[in-house]
Amino acid sequence: MAGFLAIFSQGLPRAIALAQGSAGPVENALSPVLILVLCVVAGIGTLMLLPGRREDVFRNIGAVVLLAAGLIFAAVLIHYVGSQGRGGMSIYFWLFSIISIVGAVRVITHRRPVYSALYFVLSVLATAGLFILLWAEFMAAALVIIYAGAILVTYVFVIMLATHSAAPGEKEGSEMGGLNEYDAVSREPLFACATGFTLMGVLLFVIFDRAPAGGGAVSAAVMSHPVSSPGSVQAIGEYLFNNQLVNLELAGLILTIAMVGAILIARRRVVGGVETSETPEVTLGPATPVDDNPHSIPVYGTDNPRAKAYPET
Amino acid sequence: MDPLALQHYLAVGAILFVIGLIGFVTRRNLIVMFLCTELMFQGVTINLVAFGRYLNNDLGGQAFTIFVLVIAAAEASLALGLVVLLFRQKNTLDADAWRELKG
Repeated sequence: MAGFLAIFSQGLPRAIALAQGSAGPVENALSPVLILVLCVVAGIGTLMLLPGRREDVFRNIGAVVLLAAGLIFAAVLIHYVGSQGRGGMSIYFWLFSIISIVGAVRVITHRRPVYSALYFVLSVLATAGLFILLWAEFMAAALVIIYAGAILVTYVFVIMLATHSAAPGEKEGSEMGGLNEYDAVSREPLFACATGFTLMGVLLFVIFDRAPAGGGAVSAAVMSHPVSSPGSVQAIGEYLFNNQLVNLELAGLILTIAMVGAILIARRRVVGGVETSETPEVTLGPATPVDDNPHSIPVYGTDNPRAKAYPET
Repeated sequence: MDPLALQHYLAVGAILFVIGLIGFVTRRNLIVMFLCTELMFQGVTINLVAFGRYLNNDLGGQAFTIFVLVIAAAEASLALGLVVLLFRQKNTLDADAWRELKG
């Protein structure tokens, strides 16, 4: 507890120096106090960064604080790797994870939903890079195709369908202009940040403290060859159909049910929309031509046989 | 030789999960809330693939990731259909507009 207070009183850089100074002989380089302090700092940064009725300067300060906390955490992790005698570091891992986390933070802090979706694409792509580092090439491709390709296109379509322009009372041209009130102001940011970063601190503490020293490191013999050398897709297919056959069929069933459900939901919506539309005279049956004149081809959607598609000028 | 341990991937997965959780609680736009659930799914898939790679070195983690993707796709299609339906009812995407729902 005394160390905790000392860290608070002497500032964060001193804390880092303290943690890194004691990291040499002790195999656990990540002290719980350091994780706690970093989580608190990151929580404050996120709290300031979340959308709300504040000035932009405030949000910029939050962004800087959050970025600093993340970089310090990354530096400590790099030191942790070095202290375990497994020197060198995979630059791609740090690159991909930093991009992924920054994208995720932008997803939850950006005020405009379309930009949130685009930052989510960025995060997904970085995660696919992490999967490639884990020798899961097929999963990386599937993640890009399914998430960035299919699901995100659906999201963007729905955002564009269901977002109307600024609320009538909102003044245009201001900083909040063109934004809906529910996008610009977040709900219970203090409570959410406190709970979430407490959870993050506990998770990180468990991950780094309860693991055995050097635990989780794959032995060199196993690591030298990937999961499945030439055809990862073929290996996954054989695994799925040999070991997970019932689950695979259940997955197909779930997809079918979801498709039927989505069609049902969409169909109900379309029928309701037609019934309540303001042009009830429009019917959707084909009208019959009145004669052989090609200029008298009737317009679909009207009862009037004299309404022509190609009126003589 | 990979110098990284399992913990690094688990840490990234945990951070992504927590960020998604915070976003789900704080944001009030229904669509962004569902985006945050996708973020949480993403953190979980990183955990699954990393465990499958580092603990057993088999394909079990990747197979479960496929199932997670299946659930995510089904959830996204149904949830977005419902979101459009709700938007037609109240003409807003605010989650607080449905405060009168009980339970």
